[in-house]
Amino acid sequence: MADVPDRLTLKQNRDLDGISRVPWSRRVILTLLLVFLALGLANVFGQRPGTSSAATPQAQLEVYAPTHLRGGLLFSARFHVVATEEIHNAILILDPGWLESMAVNTIEPSPLGEASDNGRLTLQLGHIPKGSSHILFMQFQVNPTNLAWQRSADVRLADGSTPLLHVGHHFTIYP
Amino acid sequence: MDIVLRAIVVFAFLMVLVRVIGRRELSSLQPFDLILLIILGDAVQQGLTQDDYSLTGAFLAVGTIALCQVLVSYVSYKFPRTRKVIEGVPIIVLQDGEPIKDNLSRERLDIDDVAESARRQGIGQLSEVKWAVLETTGQISFIKKSG
Repeated sequence: MADVPDRLTLKQNRDLDGISRVPWSRRVILTLLLVFLALGLANVFGQRPGTSSAATPQAQLEVYAPTHLRGGLLFSARFHVVATEEIHNAILILDPGWLESMAVNTIEPSPLGEASDNGRLTLQLGHIPKGSSHILFMQFQVNPTNLAWQRSADVRLADGSTPLLHVGHHFTIYP
Repeated sequence: MDIVLRAIVVFAFLMVLVRVIGRRELSSLQPFDLILLIILGDAVQQGLTQDDYSLTGAFLAVGTIALCQVLVSYVSYKFPRTRKVIEGVPIIVLQDGEPIKDNLSRERLDIDDVAESARRQGIGQLSEVKWAVLETTGQISFIKKSG
């Protein structure tokens, strides 16, 4: 076929020999992209917060924070302590996962004191009368280079040196 | 290091995306497509450099993307077989004025798209066309019948 444009052949460029007539690879990649977007809609990649809580006859602790995050995101965590019985010296103890490659923008209301307990951050909330509650807000930003898979970020509540509660939490941080 | 890795991932993702989007979308740059391109660039930039406002960061990102592009074109030049995967092949969509329906539908084109492209090149009748070839750039080239 002399009149076919140079460098083209009917076999390859018209009959698509060796090329699938149905572009399966394109369809597979587009399907994967669709799945990826659906996972994003389903909050797999964050940053919608969720609630985890624990309760004992003495107190109740509710942690409202996201578990899935991405580099650079701003997010907020809410710690709600309800004193079923009087708590003389409430102390919130956060795993290092809360602070690892995270910027803490603010803590409101400011705790009475901060310290370290075996590498964990302790925030002294003070006295909470029976039937009252204390809500602490913390604002964070994820460091852009922070990556984590199920990093432990548990929260404990103690009355002085007496442990009261333990709420399991973790962070998965995507790039 | 992070920014270089990000740039490589973004480059690879965009390359695959552009290949699977299809040539029809590539060939037309309507006003809306132009706006989409600007939004795309802005969205990619956020993921690429994030909060890095430094010149060093910008040079690293741009340099990595430029090198990736050189590498891809070198591979495609040095190993012609990879060109089929990287760029695709030209596809004949019209022969002797007759559309090749399988090829048109594979590229999500219809005869009206081909006629529109022909008109842009000053061809009023598809029957005047010997070959119409959908190039890897998404443009359609027309070769008129002789005589």
